Amino acid sequence: MFGRRGAQLCSELAQNDDERLHRFDNDLFEHVIEEANEHYHQLETRMVKMQQEGLDIETTQNRDYFGALIHHLSLIRNKRCLMSYVYNRSQSVQRLRWQLGAVLPADLQDKLNYSEIEFFKNYSELLGSYMTNIDLDLTVDSTPPKDPYIQVRVMDDLGEVLLDDQATTLLRNSIHLMKRTEAEPLISQGLLEEFIG
Amino acid sequence: MSSYYDLDDLLAEEETVSVVFRVAADGVGILDPGSEDNNVEQGAKVDVPLWLAQDLCQRQAAFINLPGYFSQRVRKEMQADPGCVDIRTRCPYFYGVGCKLVPITNDATLGSFLLYTLRGRYKDILSKAHSAAISSTPKVMQILSREETMLFQAGRDSMTAFKRWRVEGTRMERAAVLGKKRKSQEL
Amino acid sequence: MAGQSNLQLSVFSAAEVEFLAEDEQIDIVPNVRMDTLHMICGDYGPFRPQIPVKVPLWLAIALKKRSKCRIQPPDWMTVEKLTQVLEDEREAPREFQPLPFHYVEISRLLFDHAREDISDPYLVRSLLEDIRDVRFHKVESGLENLSAKTHAVKLKNLAAMEVNIVRPFIVRALQCFYKHDSEELVKQSASEVESQAVSSDRVPRRTLRPR
Repeated sequence: MFGRRGAQLCSELAQNDDERLHRFDNDLFEHVIEEANEHYHQLETRMVKMQQEGLDIETTQNRDYFGALIHHLSLIRNKRCLMSYVYNRSQSVQRLRWQLGAVLPADLQDKLNYSEIEFFKNYSELLGSYMTNIDLDLTVDSTPPKDPYIQVRVMDDLGEVLLDDQATTLLRNSIHLMKRTEAEPLISQGLLEEFIG
Repeated sequence: MSSYYDLDDLLAEEETVSVVFRVAADGVGILDPGSEDNNVEQGAKVDVPLWLAQDLCQRQAAFINLPGYFSQRVRKEMQADPGCVDIRTRCPYFYGVGCKLVPITNDATLGSFLLYTLRGRYKDILSKAHSAAISSTPKVMQILSREETMLFQAGRDSMTAFKRWRVEGTRMERAAVLGKKRKSQEL
Repeated sequence: MAGQSNLQLSVFSAAEVEFLAEDEQIDIVPNVRMDTLHMICGDYGPFRPQIPVKVPLWLAIALKKRSKCRIQPPDWMTVEKLTQVLEDEREAPREFQPLPFHYVEISRLLFDHAREDISDPYLVRSLLEDIRDVRFHKVESGLENLSAKTHAVKLKNLAAMEVNIVRPFIVRALQCFYKHDSEELVKQSASEVESQAVSSDRVPRRTLRPR
């Protein structure tokens, strides 16, 4: 009570040191909203009572006033927890677009709630159209490039893929020399690995 | 002013502190397990989260008792050997909570105690952060507060990154959000 | 968004500092004949066999990889020079000897790609490691005296990679001290003994000169 659940929601995020994204905690999120509603209800009850007693809400500082105050502060606290949860997750959702491209793997998509999926789509479109406008892919070369071509090892049977405008079959554990800019998103998605030596 | 969205700031304010109510408040009985009706009476001693205590104290509606980890006993312990005191189990947000308590406590020495503690422990963090082995979690981390841990890791992570670069150079990596690499079948 | 470097921790990753170092000029001795290369950053060449020519490090490495040249290690990368530097480093506990701003990255790149062009590579490498260790030790002991009164940390001659390693720690540590040594937190009663002990830090310091 009094904000404990809100903090619980946020501590789930804070403990998340390894950059993995956890599933959106719908249950807890709803609970916090309910709690906020309950505080609002209690706040209103106190205020109505004071009004009925003919007291000036602005100046009176009686038992009801302090009761209302505590519920008001709890309401604000719960709101901060919810906002912080959503905000910090939205930062991670943005990072997904830079690291994994416009299409999310199914298991990650499951971890987002409906609004976050919408947010991802819109953000992705926005970034996409910006990059089209300036005619530059901003997501590549996240590590400084050395050579335009690199050697990669295929992590899984990927079938036929269009590389450098040529159809190439990528079999698990095969080694290929390919354009760095084409390899980079596939490496980031974990389908290829840079092969050294 | 810390950020509204900052998780650590938010969680520091969740630490429980003990306050004594100077006023009575109706309809908030769950705060006080000893209360029989739904109210908190004047003079009641109640454990509340710091975020609530901050506001009540600023309005003179309650006064605060400093938590045990700022007691004279702990301060003596800290003076004897700051580097060995286990802050983490006492309060993970030791400094954050301390800073937030300074404006609402009468104890004028709290601020300098925090600074003294930081100075006393800083050198140890400095030397261990840059020399610690990469793979294992060093023992010192078990007694550091969250704030100290972040300082420690700032040093350790950049040293680790440098050592990795020196030994194996740079390669493109799979996105961290995907988690650890699946063990692919060996050839 | 700078890709894989950790945004909270440092402005640059080691790889990014290395990338910057690749713009430094170095002498190569080509073994092929090639016309002048016209690049955005300037013209390089013409290349004639056995005639030394200055090019950026990245170009030197690209040519070396294709066996089109030999790289001449810079003057400071010799056993003689490095032995002297190491000695001077050890004798001056508060100063850093002048070494190229990118000496860590340049030497690593040369060891990776042009090892056979370095004379006495084992000794050179171990001298470089020792120098770096001695210097880093100095950085650490310098940092021991950090406090909120520290307006700037004077680290003359510190190299790019060395700065990069300690930057996240220094920034955070300064933030902590700045917060805890502020007047709002430490009231008048702060022990006078304490403040005198750190008075050496109150000497006005010059800010770091931009390079």
